[in-house]
Amino acid sequence: MIRFENITKIYPPNIVALEDVSFEIKKGEFVLIVGRSGAGKTTLIKLLLREEEPTGGRIFFEGKDIFSIPRKRLSSYRQKIGVIFQDYKLLSAKNVYENIAYAMEVMGACEAEIKRDVPKVLELVGLEDKAYNFPAELSGGEKQRTAIARALIVRPEVLVADEPTGNLDPYHTKDIIELLQKINSLGTTIILATHDRDIVNSLKKRVITLEKGKIIRDEEKGELLF
Amino acid sequence: MFTPLKRIISYGFKNFKRQPTLHIATIFILVISLSLFSSLLLFRSGINYTVAEIQKKIDVSVYLKKDAPQELVEEIKKGLTELDEVEKVEYVSEEEALEEFKERHKDDPLILESLQVIGENPFYPSFNIKARSPGQYAAILTLLERDKFKDAVLKVDYAKKQPLIEKIFKITSGLNLGGLLLTIFLGLVAVLVTFNTIRIAIKDASQEIAIMKLVGASNWYVRGPFIVQGVICGVLASIITFFLFFLLCYFSAPKIVALTGGFNIFAWFGSHALSLFVFQLGLGIGLSVLSCLIAIRKYLNI
Repeated sequence: MIRFENITKIYPPNIVALEDVSFEIKKGEFVLIVGRSGAGKTTLIKLLLREEEPTGGRIFFEGKDIFSIPRKRLSSYRQKIGVIFQDYKLLSAKNVYENIAYAMEVMGACEAEIKRDVPKVLELVGLEDKAYNFPAELSGGEKQRTAIARALIVRPEVLVADEPTGNLDPYHTKDIIELLQKINSLGTTIILATHDRDIVNSLKKRVITLEKGKIIRDEEKGELLF
Repeated sequence: MFTPLKRIISYGFKNFKRQPTLHIATIFILVISLSLFSSLLLFRSGINYTVAEIQKKIDVSVYLKKDAPQELVEEIKKGLTELDEVEKVEYVSEEEALEEFKERHKDDPLILESLQVIGENPFYPSFNIKARSPGQYAAILTLLERDKFKDAVLKVDYAKKQPLIEKIFKITSGLNLGGLLLTIFLGLVAVLVTFNTIRIAIKDASQEIAIMKLVGASNWYVRGPFIVQGVICGVLASIITFFLFFLLCYFSAPKIVALTGGFNIFAWFGSHALSLFVFQLGLGIGLSVLSCLIAIRKYLNI
């Protein structure tokens, strides 16, 4: 479903974020991308979303080179990928409800669908009573849960989560991981970037380990060793 | 089709309400720009009025010999009327000149008495010529220099008036050119200031634009609310400017009349109110929407 082919990303002047990275993710897989801060996890996600262009190499999504997609049709491609960003990326001028609804709106969902689905997702992430609060009025964990709700609501083909539990307490962390597993069991491909040893070791899923921009391990039911 | 449009409009209004300071600042700058443009419009109308008033007062008289043959007089009149440069030709017979003189000096018995002393009519028949522009008199008068008209033409008072006419011509064309240059310069300043304000406002929203794009919004879905916000700012700014101009024209009318020798700014405002408002509305919306479209372009490339 997703194939990275010799991807290299060098930021000027000469900072190597990713070097000759190649791997493939099959439909319905649950893959963990692990590595220390600065290992290249976020860059990898940025490239998958085509937020940035690689210095070399290609990325295929459902057999199609994503860098050959015309700009006009980029929005349709991105709608297939739900992303939980590390820095949340919430729209500050919109409240929690509107932030979540926005993801449905861009896909052309009607009002009735939005009114039906948004409260359900809000309940799922435990934010029913914060629906009309703005991001500035939320705690880090609440912002993260809003970002999760926004990524989930569109039922994406691939769900990419960049450190989604970084700001959550253990209780919520467990909930979110269980939620991701549940979504995965329904057929959604999950890519989870994390450096949380407990999550990695408890999940027993495929683990791709990055170090200084290179893949040093790619194993089924892997564990975080450092 | 209509749902996205409805959402875009609704988000435009919501964003406008939720970021009042930013929008008040934009409206303020737009009001300044629109005021500048409208003032230039008023200024040019004032100048045009004053220039026309001055030009109205300029004419050249061609005095004819008393015994000038009638057909020659007719031919001169015809020749002058046919010239493109001539706006009006008026024939004043010697009797009419005398009557006019008497009428003008009816309260001055000494002058009237001196007329009686002379005994005969001291005036000559003449043509009063008014050119379309003060610069055209010299060209018009070349017609009278033809040999065949020498028997009819006694003198032309152009030489006496020439320095004054040329001076007025220079001043009026200078005023026109100055007005035009000022319009271009200040217009450019207004456009740049407005563009820069909106550019900064959009730059402020660049993070939000990037998020919208990453969530999968199309360019028009991102751009739409900004355009709606631009339209709201433009409409409000033009209403405010129109109202300010109403007050300005109302209160400054007496002073402007005195300054320009009759240009009634409030009457001008009254007769041009609709076109002025349409101009301000169009310019307000156009300036803000266009600035918005240009400024947002580079942030959509994500």
